[in-house]
Amino acid sequence: MNDILIEYIQTNLLAGQSDASLSPEDDLLGSGLVDSLGMIQLLAFIEERFEIKVPPQDMTIENFMSVEAICNYLVRLKAA
Amino acid sequence: MKQHLVSTSPVIQAQDLTQSQLLMWAGQTLSPSAPLYNMVLAFKITGSLDVAKFQLAFQALVNGSDSMRIIFQDEAGIPKQTLLSQLEYQLPFMDWSNHDSPIVEYKSWAVKRSQIQLDLSRCGFDSALIKIDTEQYIWYFNQHHLITDAWSVTVLYSKMVELYQAAVTEELTLIPAIPNFSAYLKEEKQRRESEKHLPVRKFWEEKVRSLPSPPRLYGYRGEESTSRSQRVFLDLGQERSHQLRQLAQEADVRSWTPHLSLFNIFATSLFAFLYKVGGQEQVAFGTPAHNRPTPLWKETAGVFIEIFPMAAELSSGDSLGSLLQRVKAESNSFLRYAQTGAASPALSKGFNVILNYIHAAFSDFAGMPMESDWIHPQHCDPRHHLRLQVHDMDASGSIQLHFDLNEAVFNEQQRKVIPQHFLAILDAFINDRSQAIESISIITERETDARKKSNADAFAYKSPHKNIVEALAIQVKANPDHVAIECQGHQHCYKDFERKSNQFAQELVRQGVKPGQRIGIHLRRSPELLLSIWAILKTGACYIPIPPDYPKKRIAYMLEDADVSFLIASKEDLTVDLGQATLVDLATALSQSASQIDQRPKVEIKGKDLAYIMYTSGSTGRPKGVMISHTSLMQYLSWAQALYLDDQPAKIALFSSIAFDLTVTSLFLPLIAGGTSYVYPEPSNGPDLAILDVIRDNQVNFLKLTPSHLALLSDEDLRDSQVRTMIVGGEDFKTELASRIQAVVGSQLSIYNEYGPTEATVGCVIHPYNVEEDHGRSVPIGQASPNMGFYLLDPAGHMVPQGVIGELYLVGQGLAQAYWQRVDLSAERFPLNPFTEQGRMYKTGDLARINHRGQVEYLGRIDDQVKLDGRRIELGEVESIMDDFAGIQQSVVTLHAKSEDQVAEICNCTNCGLPSNYPNVSFDERGICQLCNSFENYQQKVQQYFRTEKDLQALFATTKVPAGTYDCIMLLSGGKDSTYALAQLAEMGLKVLAFTLDNGYISEQAKANIRRVVKALGVDHIFGSTPAMDAIFVDSLQRYNNVCDGCFKTIYTLSIKLALEKKIPYIVTGLSRGQFFETRLTEELFLDDDWDIEAIDQTILEARKAYHRVDDAIKQHLDVSMFEDDEVFEKVRFVDFYRYTDVSLASMYDYLDQRLPWVRPTDTGRSTNCLINQAGIYVHKKEKGFSNYAFPYSWDVRIGHKTREASLDEINEVIDEKTVLEILNEIGYTSHQTGHQTSQQQFIAYYTAEETIDVARLRAHLAKHLPVYMIPGHFIQLDTIPLSPNGKVDRNALPQPSQQDTTTEKEFVAPSGEIEEALASFWTEVLHLSEISANASFIELGGNSLVAIRLMARINETFELGLPVNIIFEQPTVSSMATYIENRIMELLETMD
Repeated sequence: MNDILIEYIQTNLLAGQSDASLSPEDDLLGSGLVDSLGMIQLLAFIEERFEIKVPPQDMTIENFMSVEAICNYLVRLKAA
Repeated sequence: MKQHLVSTSPVIQAQDLTQSQLLMWAGQTLSPSAPLYNMVLAFKITGSLDVAKFQLAFQALVNGSDSMRIIFQDEAGIPKQTLLSQLEYQLPFMDWSNHDSPIVEYKSWAVKRSQIQLDLSRCGFDSALIKIDTEQYIWYFNQHHLITDAWSVTVLYSKMVELYQAAVTEELTLIPAIPNFSAYLKEEKQRRESEKHLPVRKFWEEKVRSLPSPPRLYGYRGEESTSRSQRVFLDLGQERSHQLRQLAQEADVRSWTPHLSLFNIFATSLFAFLYKVGGQEQVAFGTPAHNRPTPLWKETAGVFIEIFPMAAELSSGDSLGSLLQRVKAESNSFLRYAQTGAASPALSKGFNVILNYIHAAFSDFAGMPMESDWIHPQHCDPRHHLRLQVHDMDASGSIQLHFDLNEAVFNEQQRKVIPQHFLAILDAFINDRSQAIESISIITERETDARKKSNADAFAYKSPHKNIVEALAIQVKANPDHVAIECQGHQHCYKDFERKSNQFAQELVRQGVKPGQRIGIHLRRSPELLLSIWAILKTGACYIPIPPDYPKKRIAYMLEDADVSFLIASKEDLTVDLGQATLVDLATALSQSASQIDQRPKVEIKGKDLAYIMYTSGSTGRPKGVMISHTSLMQYLSWAQALYLDDQPAKIALFSSIAFDLTVTSLFLPLIAGGTSYVYPEPSNGPDLAILDVIRDNQVNFLKLTPSHLALLSDEDLRDSQVRTMIVGGEDFKTELASRIQAVVGSQLSIYNEYGPTEATVGCVIHPYNVEEDHGRSVPIGQASPNMGFYLLDPAGHMVPQGVIGELYLVGQGLAQAYWQRVDLSAERFPLNPFTEQGRMYKTGDLARINHRGQVEYLGRIDDQVKLDGRRIELGEVESIMDDFAGIQQSVVTLHAKSEDQVAEICNCTNCGLPSNYPNVSFDERGICQLCNSFENYQQKVQQYFRTEKDLQALFATTKVPAGTYDCIMLLSGGKDSTYALAQLAEMGLKVLAFTLDNGYISEQAKANIRRVVKALGVDHIFGSTPAMDAIFVDSLQRYNNVCDGCFKTIYTLSIKLALEKKIPYIVTGLSRGQFFETRLTEELFLDDDWDIEAIDQTILEARKAYHRVDDAIKQHLDVSMFEDDEVFEKVRFVDFYRYTDVSLASMYDYLDQRLPWVRPTDTGRSTNCLINQAGIYVHKKEKGFSNYAFPYSWDVRIGHKTREASLDEINEVIDEKTVLEILNEIGYTSHQTGHQTSQQQFIAYYTAEETIDVARLRAHLAKHLPVYMIPGHFIQLDTIPLSPNGKVDRNALPQPSQQDTTTEKEFVAPSGEIEEALASFWTEVLHLSEISANASFIELGGNSLVAIRLMARINETFELGLPVNIIFEQPTVSSMATYIENRIMELLETMD
């Protein structure tokens, strides 16, 4: 799952950026790598790709801070 | 010195504009000389600049950014942009450092310069460098918004800094150019047109559909429009900004980023603000999406932003915190869908407010401190009434707010305080976001203090007289022989009246009347009535008017409730039991009073003693007695005398009911002013229309009356009227009525609007009607009387700012003491005044606001704020727009629930069976519908349209086709009509290709039928189909509530394609005669005597062309490219078989039975061949209440092809819901509530007029001014509006719409004449419609400003009149535009002679 997300982010949201490698622990929002628009696009991608719906109250910085955090959240969501 | 590389981008010609650019272009075209879109930044740089290098750097900037090199052209109404490869720009430099006051000079220069009109055909920007001082420069930089947005300015600024530094070190050529805007143009276009992004566009279209019309901010309902706007600054300061940023980090507040969190806070505050000042629960604003998702776009200059709406619905329980949660979700959805290319002009209809939250910031200039100044060009798009810009572009830490306020919508005072109102909400957010939004008060202390002071003055007023008895005595002394009362020719002078009333008073005392008692008056209007009233007052008692024409129950109730001691009445007129009251028989008492002394009883009347108790009913509950004191009464009469009367003796008519306090003026004013009272008794039976007698006698110069009374006078000849003063009260007074009366009588008449509930003594807010100034829908009610004041409060009890609508509360000396013996109700309606902590207020239940002139405007009862299907409707507004329509005298609009009976009771035309719930049908006394009746008239003419079989043969004979080709296609549905027709064609020896659409639901029996028949006839046959059939069905159900329309169109489209492929010149249809009348041969075609078959055929052809070009599911799913040009209609012609034959039904069935193996299908249960038909009928019945076959069958019956019984059987048949629902599910249909009246409420407009009103034109008129949901469903013309005894509209007496009352309506008026037809072709072309009614407004048909420009371009091209674009908004219908053009042409011809 990490790889799918990293690939999406690098291709779609960071296109045009010079340095390439994004690691799962990178703070997406805090570092300014991804802005709010990008976050929403990522969310849309996640919902479509993994066929789930993220409820509005779960759309928090904590859950989506990094690729790792996202994966953990999605696992929890699917289990619920 | 090396030049910076010339830009590598080649010239790119004639590109389309992006959606955003188009919107701005349209806005600019509509206000061509206003600098609406100048985006002006001035950068104050503190340091020493090398001017030459700066200029070089600027040229390099131009070379390096293609957006700065964009110019625009207009090609026949379609704008295009060209990106030049070069643009020379010598940056002007002004050295004012040695001038006297360079800053002042700069400021005034900047104000003027920022308002220049940029010549977009040459250059989209204007820039200059000004030297203020050796260490201070200002770089002035203005770009048209068409080529830039805020982000783009920061990109250009940064690049400029870079270039300047490079110029200084002579390394200019090393600096890379800014990425090309042309790349973005390509992307935007591609996305806009791509199928893939259809769902996104649809999302926004849906959203806009759900938005109500934009609110009236601060209640502004004027029609003035200007592009002038004032920018008011508000610096939030370090502390508040810090608090906001802290707030943005709280767990329940924050969103993805700090900026987004802060944006959400401002968005929430703005929603709350709009809710409080706009009077609507649903609020929306537009906000730009920056549209730069990738790092590349973030570095590109040019205009990227697209504006999308954000909306919220507030309820009374909301707090800022709870609203914020919804705003967060709304923001996320905004981010998700606000994509490049998704915006469109339609979106801008939903809002008049913009929130512009700007992330971007400027750095210093090459190490030198810089302060930016965003200069406002004093103008703004007039549709944006309020713009809130939020930024901290200089990264100072303190958030800056700009309020761009439209100068027509907000007056000067409002513009000063509005930022404070908004700030109140921000502060509430910071302090306690859990408090209810309704409990937040936004008004400033200065505003509340002003109102309190004004009200305090009311308590200082004193009348010159102690009470009216004293006032009368003074008149008696001054003019003893003057006529006090005249009635039916008899006159009574003051002296006599005083004597008689004194004597009568003494008689009353003798009979036992004591001060403070309540004495009922049960008399008709007469001198004796006046006598009795004054006599009662002189005894120190108070009177209670109980008119003889009241219902018995009401009389009995009042006698008991008021605990009346005595009742003055004529014993013959008495019809009720008096209870505990003692009768004072008038005749007896009068004769006995003759022997009493001529002296007032010795009682002292104190100010707070009661003068009268008047009963009011209100909408619910028992009638209650309003207690009015002598002081209140005297004060009213004193100021009324001072204001309304002049030196001339007042001659006032007494003609209205004494139980209504409107009449108090007429009762008392004449006598205390030394004038004469002309008494008009009411008739002993029948309605009280004494007002008409008053007018005809023409003896009085003063009238106090209701607007309904006034409307009754519309038919009277008022030109020689003696009336000089009219005081109008009791109901909402429409300006249209006032201006009409003023015009007829003349300028010597003064009209006053006097507002006042009974609880505030007759009238307390007055306005002299001013024909020049008063243009609103109702005449303002104006200013408080000298002894009264008011507050306008919101539901939480706070004062509202000027303009905002609030409930009217009255204060002052004119307030009633209480309701007689209703302690709780009195406490409720007369609460303590919380603003002064003593004294009371009266809660009126009326809504009002203060207009720009400081006058109070009445806006109706709170109870009348009705809702239809969840949307608020102002009945008064609808009424006033109806009143504007030529010919209408008075209108009343009501909304109430449908009665059970109405829903059930449907009858059918006795001739054709058309049901009464078919729209706009009406029946005559014989129960025959108007369609049958009018058909009788044009039936003869219409025969000429039809031809014979010989003609048909001749038609085919003239068109020879090559051997092997078919002569024609026959559309074979398998039903009797098309089968019979096919057989005839075969018999004629033609080579026919039969075509049947298999829509997926054709029954097996029907298919078998078809196969048998074609085999027997030896004709070739094709079953056609399309995989998109389900989508087509769903679209047809949603658009037309049936499946047949979608099916027909598919058949036409597929068969035309087939015909083109196989080079077949004709397609023959089996449309029945009934269908001809239903769809083509409408009455209008035959109205003129010189109509023409050719013209009809041509019109039908034009309609067909437009029909195939409509943007619907068929266009989306089938190949309709062949319809793009008209050639197809020459290659393939349609022939309607039944135009050429008059075969009877019986003959048809005979033929089919005997000559063909055709069998009526039984597996569909109906006379059609397909199973989905039922589903269509089901949906139609559900959505509209009647079968979609009702109308076509009525035609079959009318021309004798079907019996009425058979038709009724079918249209009333109960449909098997289970099967139908399965089918609907299969095709994927879900019901689409379109918001028109499927509700259980009836929205009816009643009106009176001299002649019959053309309801279609009336509807079109309303559509020009009102949103669709505010247009009534029924229009009923009455001879008179029923009035209640007190002269107000009696809503309960308005008739229910029944069969007899619904007026006939000609909905569709075909454009006629050269000009109208030409115009109509433009309308249909540009609006993508199949047909245009000459009286339908283009805006109502979906037109917007872009469409307007395209229409005007075609019009100007054709008629060469050079008309300005805005004309289209003044003449929005084909017919009105045609008239306008005709007139212009005439004018031109005349000047040429």
